[in-house]
Amino acid sequence: MEPGLLYEHFIDINGFVALQVVALGFVGGILSGFIGSGGAFFMTPGMMNLGVPGVVAVGSNMTHKFGKALVGSRKHAELGNVDKRMGAFLIVTSFIGIRIAVWINSALVGSSDSHGAGGSAAGDLYISAVFICILSVVAVSMLRDAMRTRKDDEPAGPSMRIANFLARRHLPPYIHFKVADVRVSLWVLMVVGLATGYLAGTIGVGGFIGVPCMIYVFGMPTAVAAGTELYLAVYMGGFGALNYALKGFVDIRLTMLLYLGSLVGIYVGVYGTKVVKEILIRIVTGLLILLCVVSRAVAVPAYMRQLGWVHFDPAWDAWFNSASKVMLFVAGFSGAAIIVFHVIKSYRQRLRVQQRLTEARAAA
Amino acid sequence: MSVATKAGGIAEEPLTLRERSPSPTMSPTQQTMQIVCISRGSLSRGRELAESLARRLGYRVLSREDLMEAAIAEGIQVGKLETSMMKPRAFTERLARERDHYLAFSTAYLCERLMEGPLVYHGRTGHLLLRSVGHVLRVRVVADEEYRIRSTMQHLGIDREKAVRYLSEVEEDRRAWVRSMYGVSWEDASQYDVVVNVERMNVDNAASALVGMAQLPDFQITPASRRAMEDLRLGAMARLRLARDERTSRFAFSVAAHDGAVNVTYLPHDMEVAGDVPRVLEGLEGMGQLQATMAATTILWVQEAFDAASPTFREVVEIAGKWNAAVELVRYSASAEEGEASEAGTLPSPAPTQAVAGIEEDDEEDVTDDGGLKDTLDELARVGRAGGGRFVRGVPSALVHVCCGAVPHSLVVLGNLFLSKEPGTKLRLTRELQDSLGSRMHVPVVTAEELRSQYLFGPRDAFRLLGFLAVVASLYVAVLTHQDAVLKFLAGDWSGPGRLTMWVVAVAVFAFAPVVAYIYGDVARSLMKLLKME
Repeated sequence: MEPGLLYEHFIDINGFVALQVVALGFVGGILSGFIGSGGAFFMTPGMMNLGVPGVVAVGSNMTHKFGKALVGSRKHAELGNVDKRMGAFLIVTSFIGIRIAVWINSALVGSSDSHGAGGSAAGDLYISAVFICILSVVAVSMLRDAMRTRKDDEPAGPSMRIANFLARRHLPPYIHFKVADVRVSLWVLMVVGLATGYLAGTIGVGGFIGVPCMIYVFGMPTAVAAGTELYLAVYMGGFGALNYALKGFVDIRLTMLLYLGSLVGIYVGVYGTKVVKEILIRIVTGLLILLCVVSRAVAVPAYMRQLGWVHFDPAWDAWFNSASKVMLFVAGFSGAAIIVFHVIKSYRQRLRVQQRLTEARAAA
Repeated sequence: MSVATKAGGIAEEPLTLRERSPSPTMSPTQQTMQIVCISRGSLSRGRELAESLARRLGYRVLSREDLMEAAIAEGIQVGKLETSMMKPRAFTERLARERDHYLAFSTAYLCERLMEGPLVYHGRTGHLLLRSVGHVLRVRVVADEEYRIRSTMQHLGIDREKAVRYLSEVEEDRRAWVRSMYGVSWEDASQYDVVVNVERMNVDNAASALVGMAQLPDFQITPASRRAMEDLRLGAMARLRLARDERTSRFAFSVAAHDGAVNVTYLPHDMEVAGDVPRVLEGLEGMGQLQATMAATTILWVQEAFDAASPTFREVVEIAGKWNAAVELVRYSASAEEGEASEAGTLPSPAPTQAVAGIEEDDEEDVTDDGGLKDTLDELARVGRAGGGRFVRGVPSALVHVCCGAVPHSLVVLGNLFLSKEPGTKLRLTRELQDSLGSRMHVPVVTAEELRSQYLFGPRDAFRLLGFLAVVASLYVAVLTHQDAVLKFLAGDWSGPGRLTMWVVAVAVFAFAPVVAYIYGDVARSLMKLLKME
């Protein structure tokens, strides 16, 4: 394994590194509350930029997600936003997806060992590649929809071509889900579960695929899709945490430090959704994810060099990593700053209105 | 737009809505203002039933197609809206505004036609547009599946398989439309007063049976239901004006009217529109008072008697301040029948004879004693939190029905209710009402006591915060000061290599992470509560 790592997989955490992880958690929490996703798209690459091997970053983040979802899903269940039957079907296939993801990630780390070179580079490159492919599609779709909303009179929303295409196909057996009030082919259900589990296990962002699939492919109401995804996240997070911990890839210190920031940040993010216009939410989210993708892409040449695929001065690795880290942090903190700015602005406006009301009444 | 008269003739009607108060010189027939809403499926013979019933009652017929035609003339892109609402697209602000415009127009249009005289409406969801009006007879008509398939084959000239699929898709679309527009299930029988199956009953005979039902006292207009309808119309007209005026058409509003007073709430990020609301609504006929409140959401507070000096008032206002919310009041008084039934042991089933929404003008006591509703509303207006108020008398299901209206709520607070009951009965009935509202509205429903403990920071929270903070600090200190031991454990280096070792590690991680999340999550929540940011 790479030099400088403790017990082969873990980084040394001093006060400064701990602060950076808490900051990652805080920004990830804000984005998570603001967007409604888990925030892993920011936290996982952020930890990798701090020198955490990709597989440990994913494992620790899944453990973080497990605890958070366990606390949050109860509220959704109380409000009737969870289709447990749907969740049960997806859980089974998502577990298979997670097992595949853990197996590939672990094998890549193992393969680096066997060659005696590359450290965690193979795993990091693989995780980065999946991250870049999936999240660039998500970011571009989000930005395109946001732009369309601005220009077009038509109420925006992603294309329904997939749902319409599937509706025209006859793919029995079909299962009816009462809470979501939808009828879905078992085969479609299995593919979605497998994909969600695989992505959650590989990069920790299964929700980015799970929720859109539930809404656009299954036709579920948005609130039920979000609630069911959170319910699913409990099991997927738990299963993923168990599997990664079994391989020794969970760093509980990172998980705890992430909690320290994220569980506070999430409140700021949720508050932000109440005071920021929807169009701005979409644009900020899309740009942020896109910048996270670019930041990850900047780190890729270093992994390729470590694997011997390209050749340049190893001293440049630090530059690539620093550039990636700066870009990610600037993107994350800028996004968080926009949200916090609006939260404070709204709070001050509220105070001014209250003051004017009081003055007007006093004058009357 | 065309309206079929009793004799079957067609009378041309103006396409636009007039903003006016109900005519004081209505004929006795017009003053009945009865409405029968028939909800029909595709090819379920609802139109035939409506026309037959209208002939027998001497009422006019109004169809969904008439309503759509008028909505299109208003400039609403109904087809586009339908497609958007039926498909599970992202619910955008623009879509929400278009939906509001459509709902306001449809409601105002129906009320307006109803003010002109009694009518039979057949469509999908007329009864849901008028759900706060007590005297609407709500009929659902269903037909034999085989008949519908054959009719579809005949009408569209398609084979059986295609007809079955066509019907299934149409029904699915309509179900989605009703769910996304009104948040209820179209097929839920509790939404109707009667379900008519014309499979084994002749349409004319079904109409004859409905004539008897329509003449029951339960479906005749009362002062309360008249007031509710006038308020509904006034609110819809106000919303419509806001949607039509270019100064306000880009913004989201929630509008409600009570006893001639119109309450408009707008979102905090739309503050610039505050000055335009009174200008746009100026001169709206029938509007007594106008209250514009900036609110991100609405809290519904249900109580039997309000007191602006009570601790619950202060607490509700405090939470409203934190959430940027308006507070809507519902004074709920359980009817005598409800009380008797409740003593039998369960939440009473609907008993429409006493279930009315609105102010009972014919009840002297109610006119003079409004249970502190007006004073509390005035006080809420004074602190900039007024979200309107209503009076509901009847069985709990009547309250549930009224509460599940067009205005979305974030929280429902149940204050003192069932005051005439024994404490045990009062507690049980409140719990049952809480469950009932929670399952229908999908928002947190809390009692006044729970409001304090869940949303406000009290001494108990301070103790809990300190205790959990101590535990969480100990955990973090223990882990971060013993990093080597922790990592050794996580890497499985503390025992001989083996599967069992790693299983112990995995189970420990699996159990430890949620404990930290729970304890620290509680600390974070309490802190945010303290900072009024939760």
